[in-house]
Amino acid sequence: MIFKKILNLNFFLIFVILILITIGTAALYSAGEGSFSPWAEKHIIRFGVLFFLMIIIALIDIKFIFKYSYPLFFLCLILLFSVEIIGIFGKGAERWIRIFGISVQPSEIIKVAIILALAKYFHNLRFDTIGKIYHIIIPAFFILVPFVLVLLQPDLGTAISIFLLGVMILFIAGIRIWKFVLGVIISLSSFPFLWGLIKPYQQKRFLSFLNPELDPLGQGYQLIQSKIALGSGGLAGKGFLEGTQSYLEYIPEKQTDFIFTLIGEEFGFIGTMFLLFLFGLLITICFYISIKSYHIFGRIICLGVACNIFIYVILNMAMVTGLLPVVGIPLPLISYGGTAMLSVMVSFGLLLNVCIYYNVKKINQ
Amino acid sequence: MSYFDRKKQLTVLNRRTFFIYLSKLIIFSIVGWRLFNIQVTNSGKYRTLSKNNQINIEILYPLRGEIRDRKEQVIATNIKVFDLYVIPEKTSDLSLTLNNLSKFIDLNFKQKREIIQLSKKIKKFEKIKIIENLDWKTLELIEVNKNYLTGLELIQDFQRVYPESQYFSHILGYVNQPSKKDLRLPYILKMPKLNIGQQGLEKSFNENLIGKAGNREIEVNSLGRTIREISKQMSTKGENITLTFDIGLQKYLHKQLSNHRAGSIVVIDIVSGDILSMASVPTYDSNKIIKKPNYEYWQELLNNPLSPLTDRSIQGLYSPGSTFKMIVAIAALKHNIINSKNNFSCNGKISFGDRLFHCWKTKGHGKMNLEQAIQESCDVFFYELSIKVGIDKIAEVAKDFGLGQIYPINIDNQKKGIVPSKKWKKEVYNKKWYGGETLITAIGQGYLLATPLQMAVMTARIASGGKKILPSIIKSSEEKKFDIMKKYSNGIKIVQKAMFKVVNEKKGTANQSKSNDFQFSGKTGTSQVRKISMVERESEDFRNIEIEWKNRDHALFVGYMPSNKPQYSISVVIEHGGSGASTAAPIARDVFNYINKTNIT
Repeated sequence: MIFKKILNLNFFLIFVILILITIGTAALYSAGEGSFSPWAEKHIIRFGVLFFLMIIIALIDIKFIFKYSYPLFFLCLILLFSVEIIGIFGKGAERWIRIFGISVQPSEIIKVAIILALAKYFHNLRFDTIGKIYHIIIPAFFILVPFVLVLLQPDLGTAISIFLLGVMILFIAGIRIWKFVLGVIISLSSFPFLWGLIKPYQQKRFLSFLNPELDPLGQGYQLIQSKIALGSGGLAGKGFLEGTQSYLEYIPEKQTDFIFTLIGEEFGFIGTMFLLFLFGLLITICFYISIKSYHIFGRIICLGVACNIFIYVILNMAMVTGLLPVVGIPLPLISYGGTAMLSVMVSFGLLLNVCIYYNVKKINQ
Repeated sequence: MSYFDRKKQLTVLNRRTFFIYLSKLIIFSIVGWRLFNIQVTNSGKYRTLSKNNQINIEILYPLRGEIRDRKEQVIATNIKVFDLYVIPEKTSDLSLTLNNLSKFIDLNFKQKREIIQLSKKIKKFEKIKIIENLDWKTLELIEVNKNYLTGLELIQDFQRVYPESQYFSHILGYVNQPSKKDLRLPYILKMPKLNIGQQGLEKSFNENLIGKAGNREIEVNSLGRTIREISKQMSTKGENITLTFDIGLQKYLHKQLSNHRAGSIVVIDIVSGDILSMASVPTYDSNKIIKKPNYEYWQELLNNPLSPLTDRSIQGLYSPGSTFKMIVAIAALKHNIINSKNNFSCNGKISFGDRLFHCWKTKGHGKMNLEQAIQESCDVFFYELSIKVGIDKIAEVAKDFGLGQIYPINIDNQKKGIVPSKKWKKEVYNKKWYGGETLITAIGQGYLLATPLQMAVMTARIASGGKKILPSIIKSSEEKKFDIMKKYSNGIKIVQKAMFKVVNEKKGTANQSKSNDFQFSGKTGTSQVRKISMVERESEDFRNIEIEWKNRDHALFVGYMPSNKPQYSISVVIEHGGSGASTAAPIARDVFNYINKTNIT
């Protein structure tokens, strides 16, 4: 039984994941100046542990996942709240919470919970009633409450990605187009309000994005340096372990959000394109599994995961290439950091789960 | 859900899935195009920027903490010097620069090759040290010929100096470049080029003395010129350390020792355990070791048969000779084997087993009690006594009084010495203990070995009435509390009385060194270096001063002052100095005299 299920796994997806984690480990090895410590070693250990978790999630009965989608969402919301409350009573901004001795960032985990909650909601929905106004209110609740909580932390990058993720799922699920147009208008008009809500350093980041050369040693510094790193890599790169920009400590957080610049510097345009191609492949596989699924629940999970990965990749790459402001988003499977990897690996677990249970008929029983 | 409804939903879903997939591909393409733009089209521009715009991180090395004596007078500090560096990146040709440089300074082929090899391993803008502590003449030559010497840089640095190095070298040790093993120490992790303590207190207190590194981020242009400083975090100087030593006394001890080829004196404050002074000759000069090149000086030190690198105070192992008799006496008194009135008779020798054991006084001392036996240092009395006490009880007391152990204080390389016992001999030689060996041990000869520091501690413990005094080298304001060994109280009283008589009564062996200004107590010792033959013993003057230096006896004296309220204990060892009474005791008196006249604490 289990063996048959395992055979149903999408091995091509696992293969792509393994290539990406290898690239990530190599980049972190280089970032550690040719050493497995402090990052590469931990990166690969975390992956090993989370790989098991992924397989376990893949094998759980999809009916079980369906049943507990809402409770899971509320559990994550409570975690997010508690971080908020610790943040208020403790000192300074807090994004982390310790569970069983492991620091996790509930704002990353909740992305998966949002995908599940929305998938369940739209699965249960009678399609002819989708135009009813309360069918926009409940999904909006699933998206906006976490969004506001994360924005208040303040974690602009994650907040934006939660918002985008939600909007994309709503679009896929079939919400009317004019509602999106209205949404954009509301968002734009609420911008002055949001501007007051975000912290001064984030305002500064936004301004420096508009004109990075204005303040080369301050906020725009990272951006200029990351462009120099990418650009000096050229077509073929400087070679593995040969990057100078990242070694000279120009690139702050070179092991997390800016790891892509290191790859760009050492492996050049060919390297960055290959990475972009791998992520494209990953997303394509998500769409493939989605189309295969007989049930809406599975479809929306796959598309949600695809959007989640897409948002990570695009925000990160757009950030380091100067297309978007520096918001602080990691590159999945490549950047160093436990919670993002946890979130991504759980997503892949769900993806594989749909892959196994794609033809379950009565999912809500 | 009706069939049509579901179909409609799937249609919408499919359409929108396709749409979103397409838009994702488009956005990916935009990022791809952007990357092409940066990495291919504009690569040249960014490559130039990458070269032009470099940031160097300079480690700012911390200043090493100072070491001071008990009166806060400096005995180890740092002075400004200039070091010569080469920065491979800034040279037009590294080997050309080095070749030109070798016209001005001593730089051999091997050194040049080492520098060139090193330059390949490190980042090209990093500095390589060529020579430390340039003298003014060379400094001037390099300044004048700057044009031929591209890539050279003179950098101000600090060098460790020891203002009183000839007196403190053994104690302080010296600093040097860390070895590969040292580099793993956590506190020098980020400072690979930092000189660290390699011997003595400099070594044992590295962690306190080193301090914390700072750093300076500077932006430099393609020529290597600093454009600006981005950030600077100052280094933190290491802690200063205040020792229990007294410079004046240390100098005085060395003055006393200067008349002798080799020996050691240790002075301890009995109340606090502070080591006030600890001198060992011959000595070396830490400053000469630090100043490079030091090869010749090293050779000189290593080839000296008297091994000046050895700190005799803690590493010199000597037979304590008659100074050990107090321990035998205390052991006998503790076990009630003897009281102060019991007499033994000495006729110059005693036979035990199939051997004859001699007293230093060939004719014998006649009838005497314990106090007289210590006062006149009668060997036969202690032979007899030791037979009754037995080696193991003697060994136990010896250990209680600080012999045969390494003190848990921050002085590295202390020698443990030997306190022989039946068990010890079994373990080390796997042989049975012979009765005759007890007799030899009783007069401080044979296997028994102790360092001058141990002897000074032993004396301090006797003088304090049996307090378990531990020596210390770091001055502390806390009052020290030492446990008192009550079991020895009675014995110590008698021994103290006897030690008083050694110096202050007519027949005492150190009576000639008596002082009129103060009263001190003590015990002489003369430890035999070679076996005395029967023929020599029969001739009246076998302790002739004219025998070859290396065959002469070691002269020892241990003592304390003032007799009535002991404050200072001393041990004096003069290698091959002749007799303890004639050589060591006068030194002890002079040192006590100095302490008495000078304000130490």
